[in-house]
Amino acid sequence: MKEYYPLTAAQKMHHNWIRKYKTQQVSGVSVVASLKAAIDFGLFKKCIQLEIERYGCMRVRFTKPDEKGEVQQYITKKLSGDIPIKDLSGMSMAEADNLMQQWAYKTFDGDDIPMCEVVMVKLPEGYNGFFIHMDHRLIDSCGLVVMINDLMQLYTHYRFQSEYPEDLADFEEVLAKDLKKANNEKRFAKDKKFWDDQLDALGEPLYSDIQGPSVLEESRKLHGNKKLRAADIELNNLFVEVKDYYLEPEPTKNLITFCMNHQLSMTNLLLLGIRTYLSKVNNGQEDITIQNFISRRSTHDEWTSGGSRTIMFPCRTIIPAEMDFITAAYEIQNMQNKIYMHSNYDPALIEEEMRKRYNTPENTTYESCYLTYQPMPVKMENPHLVDIPQHSKWFANGAATKKMYLTVSHTENGGMNFSYHYQTAHLEEHDMELLYYYMMRVLFKGIAEPDMTIGEIMAQV
Amino acid sequence: MTQEMQFKTIVAQFCDLSPEEIEDDMRFREDLGFSSLGFMQFLGELEDTFDVELEEEDALQVVTIAEALELLEKLQQEA
Repeated sequence: MKEYYPLTAAQKMHHNWIRKYKTQQVSGVSVVASLKAAIDFGLFKKCIQLEIERYGCMRVRFTKPDEKGEVQQYITKKLSGDIPIKDLSGMSMAEADNLMQQWAYKTFDGDDIPMCEVVMVKLPEGYNGFFIHMDHRLIDSCGLVVMINDLMQLYTHYRFQSEYPEDLADFEEVLAKDLKKANNEKRFAKDKKFWDDQLDALGEPLYSDIQGPSVLEESRKLHGNKKLRAADIELNNLFVEVKDYYLEPEPTKNLITFCMNHQLSMTNLLLLGIRTYLSKVNNGQEDITIQNFISRRSTHDEWTSGGSRTIMFPCRTIIPAEMDFITAAYEIQNMQNKIYMHSNYDPALIEEEMRKRYNTPENTTYESCYLTYQPMPVKMENPHLVDIPQHSKWFANGAATKKMYLTVSHTENGGMNFSYHYQTAHLEEHDMELLYYYMMRVLFKGIAEPDMTIGEIMAQV
Repeated sequence: MTQEMQFKTIVAQFCDLSPEEIEDDMRFREDLGFSSLGFMQFLGELEDTFDVELEEEDALQVVTIAEALELLEKLQQEA
């Protein structure tokens, strides 16, 4: 008999966005993974089918929403529908990527339907592989990387007799464990106390925009409230553009070395870079909040069970201009460590508490920037494929729920990629250029002279 | 199962070793590969399993398995 489960906090985050923005498009995630090699597509199809059996999250479906808009999830035995093959080899790679980008905009509309589609692809320049399009409530990017590696291990096992991949943790068991943990009353009370204490101590947060204080001023005028501390979010035009910047291996190494020498995590250094820029363009504002995504994947089972385990929490710090760079970095690290310890909490409850306390108007926010740092390279780590050129690409779903969402990842050659997703309704490529330029200036000034104050850095960059 | 083995069984869920392979002088980050998030979530597991309350500041001073076990015993005695 089918077992029905409520959504986890991470799944609810995506579900709430779908409801708020009234389109499933905001929850789409797509990637193509391919190799410059001939592929036995008959065998590959069987491996994909086997992967769907192994990786339970690919078979998740959702019930019809109830009167409150809530859905339940269940796991089917099979993923219905064929796994077709599309031949794009006659195109240029750019044309093929453009076509796949169109596929990534597709929505999964309906209840009790599969939320995952796989297409095998013949790409230009001799690349062959597959394109996968899923709903983010089923999987996050880490989960997709694990799935791609597992699938390629299955293929190389059957094709080249390499070792069979290790068993993956059972998605349903891990889901049940997560839900049980979320219902632990003692833990819930401790987590709630932490988040409430923060508001007790610091009061209402203050919005800071990439474009400066004029954005908050506009919202203040719109709501007729000169003291409003939250700004309006874009609900209608969700179109998003992506601008990528590449940081060379040598400067990347400098950032990594600085983190290692000072026992800092890269996430916290990046948060400091963004918040210093926000402070600079908002007249030295000291109270800054950035939404930071974390992936709740710490145990072996959490790593291999798939599912959507990425969730965002507001990282709020008050850093005066007189504080030196390294102290500010530790201030952020200290806050992030506390957040990690209380990250079983549902962030929707933090927002709810703020709305209750401060009468925050509907559809307003305290944050303009969102960060994801991915320490894991998006690469097939199969020894049989290591010398074969690969073409992998993530496709944006085309509908951003966030004004600016930065994903930082490491590249195969030791560099870093800064991928800025921005809503075109209010931002232009030039805004991203400025943000990246100043972020880098702040970070490299700071790591060169960690005793320099934040105020001095803001003045010099 | 002894408390030490129960403790090491939890540690093993967060790294690639079996509980028997985990030695007292191993460091969480450098030897066992714990991330910041992993370490804080591990502390949460300890709190739930052993019914203790950890102060974040104390917990962040912990470097090795032996130090974590010592802190755990101290908290249980105080409870």
